[in-house]
Amino acid sequence: MSIAPVEQESVSSLEETEVDVPWITLVWNDPVNLMSYVTFVFQSYFGYPKAKAERLMLDVHTKGRAVVSNGTRERMETDTEALQGYGLWATFQKDD
Amino acid sequence: MARGFKRRDGRYVARLDAVERGLVVGLMEQVLELVSPEGDDAGMPRGPGEGDEFDRIVAGLGGVGMGVSLSAADQAGEDVGPAPDAGERDPALDRIFPTANRQDEQVAAEFRRLTEEGLRSRKSANLTTAIAALAEPDDQKVSLDHDQALALVVALTDVRLVLGERLGLKHDDDVAVLEEQASGLDEDDPTVYALAVYDFLTWLQETLTQALTR
Repeated sequence: MSIAPVEQESVSSLEETEVDVPWITLVWNDPVNLMSYVTFVFQSYFGYPKAKAERLMLDVHTKGRAVVSNGTRERMETDTEALQGYGLWATFQKDD
Repeated sequence: MARGFKRRDGRYVARLDAVERGLVVGLMEQVLELVSPEGDDAGMPRGPGEGDEFDRIVAGLGGVGMGVSLSAADQAGEDVGPAPDAGERDPALDRIFPTANRQDEQVAAEFRRLTEEGLRSRKSANLTTAIAALAEPDDQKVSLDHDQALALVVALTDVRLVLGERLGLKHDDDVAVLEEQASGLDEDDPTVYALAVYDFLTWLQETLTQALTR
């Protein structure tokens, strides 16, 4: 593997920041939503298998939040809107 | 005595008496009024002063003085009726339509501008479906098809989010703390009543979620 010249690298990383940096959708813990319901939403909306849906739900519950999807900004906005429609506390942001 | 939802022959069946159904429908109507697209007052017969379950629950909480956090708008609501001050956003709306980007205010504002009306319309349609589904039966048996069950499980979430906000629930153990505080209060205390309603809705939603998951 080679190392790119510094100038070129900085140009390319700038471009990546604008174009290629993926975005994520987060779900945050809240005291109202039921564990069973959050799992159900992850299964119904994303089509995640039950095991994955439960793992994400437990991450939300124990760690306070979980990344539930990633991709383009547009896609993450769609996911966030849908999850807010279900009453989950969903946000989206750049994956820093 | 209420019986939770079970899946039977592809339908979602529960037993709720008229009082229980009326309570849930009344709460869903209140939330419908809250989330309806702004300026859309069609089919919203309720006005200030009519006072129903939810208003009484919300209004009653202000006088309890036991650590229940209420917004200024809610406090004012006790004196001047349930209509919120113009220009002041109900904090429950911030929970139902939360700030969608915590890093960039502009991105969050743009998202809200682009999505809130659509979310309000869909939630309103969903609540309307759920209200109609529960208003239907003339005996105690509630029998929902899949779409009605989905509408109700989401509607119950919205109602619990608003009620949870009114009760000041911020952390996972707040319900338990409130219940302990309320255990020393009179049975007809508004907080005791609000918690009982909240627990009932939680139980009902849990049974429906389980039935939908199977």
